[in-house]
Amino acid sequence: MAELGVGRPTKRRAGSAVGGLPVADSRPVFAGDAVLGTRCSACRYPSSQRDLPWCPACYAPMVAERFATTGPVWSATVVDIHVGTRKPPFGLAYVDLDDGPRVLVHLAEPAVLGLGSRVRITGTDDGDLVATEVRS
Amino acid sequence: MTEAMLWGVGTSAYGRFPERRVEALAWEAVAEAVRDAGISPGEIDAIVVGSVFGPPGVATRVQRGLGIPGVPMWTVENACASGTSAYHEAVEAVRLGRFGCVLVLGVEQMSTLFSGAIVPEATDPEGASSLPLPGLYALQAQRYAGEFGVTPEQLAAVAVKNKRNGLDNPRAQLRASAPTVEEVLASRMIARPLTFLQCCPTSDGAGAAIVGGARGKRRDLRIETSAMVSGALWDHRSEDVWGYASVARAAERAFAQAGRTPAEIDVLEVHDAFTIGEIITLEALGLASRGKGAELAPSGHTARDGAQPVNPSGGLLSRGHPLGATGMAQLAEITWQLRGEAGARQVARHRVGLVETMGGGAAGMDGNACVVTILARQT
Repeated sequence: MAELGVGRPTKRRAGSAVGGLPVADSRPVFAGDAVLGTRCSACRYPSSQRDLPWCPACYAPMVAERFATTGPVWSATVVDIHVGTRKPPFGLAYVDLDDGPRVLVHLAEPAVLGLGSRVRITGTDDGDLVATEVRS
Repeated sequence: MTEAMLWGVGTSAYGRFPERRVEALAWEAVAEAVRDAGISPGEIDAIVVGSVFGPPGVATRVQRGLGIPGVPMWTVENACASGTSAYHEAVEAVRLGRFGCVLVLGVEQMSTLFSGAIVPEATDPEGASSLPLPGLYALQAQRYAGEFGVTPEQLAAVAVKNKRNGLDNPRAQLRASAPTVEEVLASRMIARPLTFLQCCPTSDGAGAAIVGGARGKRRDLRIETSAMVSGALWDHRSEDVWGYASVARAAERAFAQAGRTPAEIDVLEVHDAFTIGEIITLEALGLASRGKGAELAPSGHTARDGAQPVNPSGGLLSRGHPLGATGMAQLAEITWQLRGEAGARQVARHRVGLVETMGGGAAGMDGNACVVTILARQT
């Protein structure tokens, strides 16, 4: 049983992070002073996705937009298992950007931040947004 | 419209079977379902298959052994709801008179793909950022606990209940022991606050069902409704935790079609991939009001001898979670329960049953799909 599959092709690879072929990167882009994305030209719906066919809320055209790098934490966790090449523990949070969409960020410090904690996106780590808690 | 009935069900055992061929798992389930329905395989005039990870052409590879050539056949992929999505299509087809007897199959072999948690989908923004499914549910749990003050002990109570139920399920993957709340909380942390014993295992297995019209057999179950919904945007405007709204949409449609209320359901099999999942689902189904779902397991309401038993099979937390097969395993359990054939797992009141399967994980959506079906014993 331990030998099963050894030396034989595997069924599927899930991207270069785990040894497969690279795929297009769909993560939000951090531009130093803004998170890049798009906004609806009619209803102002914001999205971190840059190649939408139209506004998914009202179907009007989307245009390029720059969003704030700050916002409140919607929820946060710390993951304690390996995921792809990422080693535990690492902190993740959904952040509602102050004028923009909800984005997933990695936390600079692996701690479970409370709901509504203020964070600032300070950079990227291998393409992931990285956020730091803003203490007032 | 033709009335749709469930004629028979069958499953394989659930566990890690990397040495078995994926179609062999399927054949085991199909053979039992065909026997259970009391039909000849030649009576099947369509096949619908639910599977997530294939292999490609898995339906045809299964069909090869069945001797049912040339019939309409298709494969459905709706994440964890793939099996019940296939079932939903079969039910609709029978209702519309398109087919008289449909074989539904859900099959998955995950042990040859993953050694632990599912590797997140690299094409997805959240997947590319290394958000595993337990992490997504953990974010849901943290939000939910922050809003409603749910305790770790209340979360753990779901695992205690379902793992205790699973001890009586000979086909379950995990049936070694029934942990205490303390043991659940002391197990290895996966994604805070979800510990190892609050996460279902990835699994191999298959489930099958035969759906057809009314044929005058008392053992057949009446399919009162099957409702399927796809995902909707889940974003900065969403007041609900991830996943809640998709289950609520399917539930609302199902109860309206069946003309029933949540209180009329005797026994349920719902999607407990993680403990928080069962809690959120039961609120979305209307068994508890907002923020009160976490009280259902500790109070005994959802225990096997409680007012409304939930996951008497042990759920995904015991059975395991072979994605495409999970919904079919849930259907099989509710079928056995309603017929009074569930043995040591049998619940006292078993006239009306409900199955809910929620598949998710695509970033920015409140789920990939959700299916809710209500079945009833003929009176």
